[in-house]
Amino acid sequence: MTGRLRGLLKGAVGPEANDSRYLLDVHRRDMPGQDTMARYQDSDEVDLCIVGAGAGGSVLAQRLARRGWRVVIIEAGPFWHPDQDWVSDEAGSHRLYWNQERVIGGDDPIELGKNNSGRGVGGSMIHYAGYCPRFHPSDFQTKTRDGVGADWPISYSDLKPHYEEVERELPVAGQDWPWGDPHRYPFSPHPIGGAAMVLWKGAIAQGIEMRVGPVGIVNGTFGNRPHCIYRGFCLQGCKVSAKASPYVTHLPDALAHGVEIRANSMAVRVETNEADGRATGVTYVREGDGVEGHQRARAVAVAGYSIETPRLLLHSTSKRFPGGLGNSEDQVGRYVMVQGASQTAGRFGEELRMYKGPPPEVSSEQFYETDKARGFARGFSIQTVSPQPIGWAEHVLADGHWGRALREYMRDYNHWTTIGVLNELLPHPENRVTLDQDTDPYGVPVARFDYSASDNDKANIAYSTDVITGILHAAGAQDILTIHRYAHLVGGARMGTSPDNSVVNSDHRVWGVPNLFVADGSVCPTQGSANPALTIMALSSRLAQRLASRSTA
Amino acid sequence: MAEEHDPRTGGHLPHLRPDGQPPDPSWLPRQRVGVTPQMIGRYPDYDVLASVDTWDRATREVVTKRLRLRGPLRFFTAQEEPTLRAFCDVATAQDSEPRVPVAEMVDDKLAAGRLDGYRYAGMPRDPDTWRLVLRGLDEVAASRYGRDTFGACDPRAREAIIGALADGSLSGGAWDELDVSRAFSVCMRAILEAFYSHPWAWNEIGYGGPAYPRGYMRLGPIAVREPRERPGATAEDPLRAAEDRES
Repeated sequence: MTGRLRGLLKGAVGPEANDSRYLLDVHRRDMPGQDTMARYQDSDEVDLCIVGAGAGGSVLAQRLARRGWRVVIIEAGPFWHPDQDWVSDEAGSHRLYWNQERVIGGDDPIELGKNNSGRGVGGSMIHYAGYCPRFHPSDFQTKTRDGVGADWPISYSDLKPHYEEVERELPVAGQDWPWGDPHRYPFSPHPIGGAAMVLWKGAIAQGIEMRVGPVGIVNGTFGNRPHCIYRGFCLQGCKVSAKASPYVTHLPDALAHGVEIRANSMAVRVETNEADGRATGVTYVREGDGVEGHQRARAVAVAGYSIETPRLLLHSTSKRFPGGLGNSEDQVGRYVMVQGASQTAGRFGEELRMYKGPPPEVSSEQFYETDKARGFARGFSIQTVSPQPIGWAEHVLADGHWGRALREYMRDYNHWTTIGVLNELLPHPENRVTLDQDTDPYGVPVARFDYSASDNDKANIAYSTDVITGILHAAGAQDILTIHRYAHLVGGARMGTSPDNSVVNSDHRVWGVPNLFVADGSVCPTQGSANPALTIMALSSRLAQRLASRSTA
Repeated sequence: MAEEHDPRTGGHLPHLRPDGQPPDPSWLPRQRVGVTPQMIGRYPDYDVLASVDTWDRATREVVTKRLRLRGPLRFFTAQEEPTLRAFCDVATAQDSEPRVPVAEMVDDKLAAGRLDGYRYAGMPRDPDTWRLVLRGLDEVAASRYGRDTFGACDPRAREAIIGALADGSLSGGAWDELDVSRAFSVCMRAILEAFYSHPWAWNEIGYGGPAYPRGYMRLGPIAVREPRERPGATAEDPLRAAEDRES
């Protein structure tokens, strides 16, 4: 009954404890409240200092500020002013990414930067595509069910109410979802473009079910956030404010409840008390003048994502913590995961113009769980994507074309449509972040990320590529171009049951430092084949509830 | 002939041709409005810059700045410049004016110190990789073709050298300080980002370009165009093409 009611009320039910959508200005995209934002002194002992204003840090700040906590967020990147800073252009969006030096190694080095790393207020959700699927219940127990990966110390049911709340806050639009834990979405599915329609028809011919969404893109209006205008630049920062990111979904409400975001400030150490091992605050360096500050805090939450969070923990050494924080058993930085993200493009006689409409349109989780007949554990999801010209050029190059051949394929851009996969690649202890010998301008060693795919991973990637290639053939594609790539990051400070198998416990508390927490995707022990943004937000929502109930108890 | 050059069948695509090579670009129509690289393209009546007044100011400034980019180069030396230009020309098949100023755009990126957020372990930083690649190209030109510089080689030799670079099969001299395939990838990343960020290249491929605040309203179901979009075309005589198809 309530399900049917929610169906009737699509688009009319908003979150109760988040006014961000009403706080936004209809006429300008700047974050309301920046000028009147609370300001704390370094010497003020705030209740919580968060490192990173992305998906994890922003939700945590918003939730706890509403409970009266005094919160400061230290953010390395800039405080965006979208009308001036963001452009409807691929190359011009370079500033949105974490472009600082990092070293990549291993057998399958993972390209960082624009592909998976954000910098600035709102984090990498500023430039994520917008897909917002939930993890499946099986993701939390892959060790028990499938004999691979790890079991989480929490279950899907612990996160479910937070998934529902965050879906109302973004808000997520899509068809009723048949996979994992079947559920509805608060907003109706978007109309889809011709390029995605061709792919969907191919999938149907192959017996593959697809559904529109789920995307964190407004369909209709949502408070003062307008309807999507389908301009196709989701990955370049949404100038419309239709696509969800903390910048429009949580930080306006956080500012209205006394949160300070200290932008252009690079956290370099979490300081701890030698006597009792408690965190005392965060040392940071202001960009530009290089002045060092130290924000005192009763508790600290690190939310710098899977590369910077391990880097900060590893660099926060002391006599008491010679290997860094949470690292007594050499666990920090291990089990970093990426998803296989191969994309296959098909050529059609008609002009499909895939640059029109949001890149995320239609997806399938039919292959998500283990099927022994496939010969590998766990699975993958399928999602339509649509590269703009520079992305398309990288795709054509990856298929082996440069010079005259590349120009020919590039001129043919409007005849192509692209479908991608997300493979669940398994966690491995040697896929890890360590500190390199090179240092950044502040003298902090840069992160080094080594990655090698396992045999199970390679089998998954090969199988899934065959599936999407089959969809294109079934759709009648005249020619096919494939790029093998990776996307997303999670892990590196995973949650577990003891210091020798994890960095944090089920309440995100770093082992050995009772008032230090990790509040981002690095806590995930497995990743499923779902895009991680929604889960990172839901985890922070749950963490906030745990912290608030503990402090009032 | 008409079949081969019919965009509906894709007969011009390298994968679909017996020799795996693209056709000579002479099958393409000359551009009739606006500018494309070498004045060829598939959308002869489309100029993305005709809609520049509908773009938001921030985007307009970023994009039109690319049209005004001029030398002199700031990062690369006068000695490196001819090799850089020849490399960019081969990589993007630009053999005549008007050219997208890829060399200037790459130089601008390196001079400004813009990084891409990663460096392969065991590889130099991107700026050093570029210098080594240019030095290596000159070394190959000397050792294999007896020329002083890469730029002094004939077009066929240049293509062969870049082919070997793409395959990762170059060795000796500067190449021993690099992972050759990854060095190619580092350079191509910058070259392609430059070329396909230029409005002339957007004209060539019929790309809509910036679309804020206007957006799109005609998404599907299939082969629909906005009022400002123009259909693709070929250089063939339409009457003869129709006759060929009927016969």
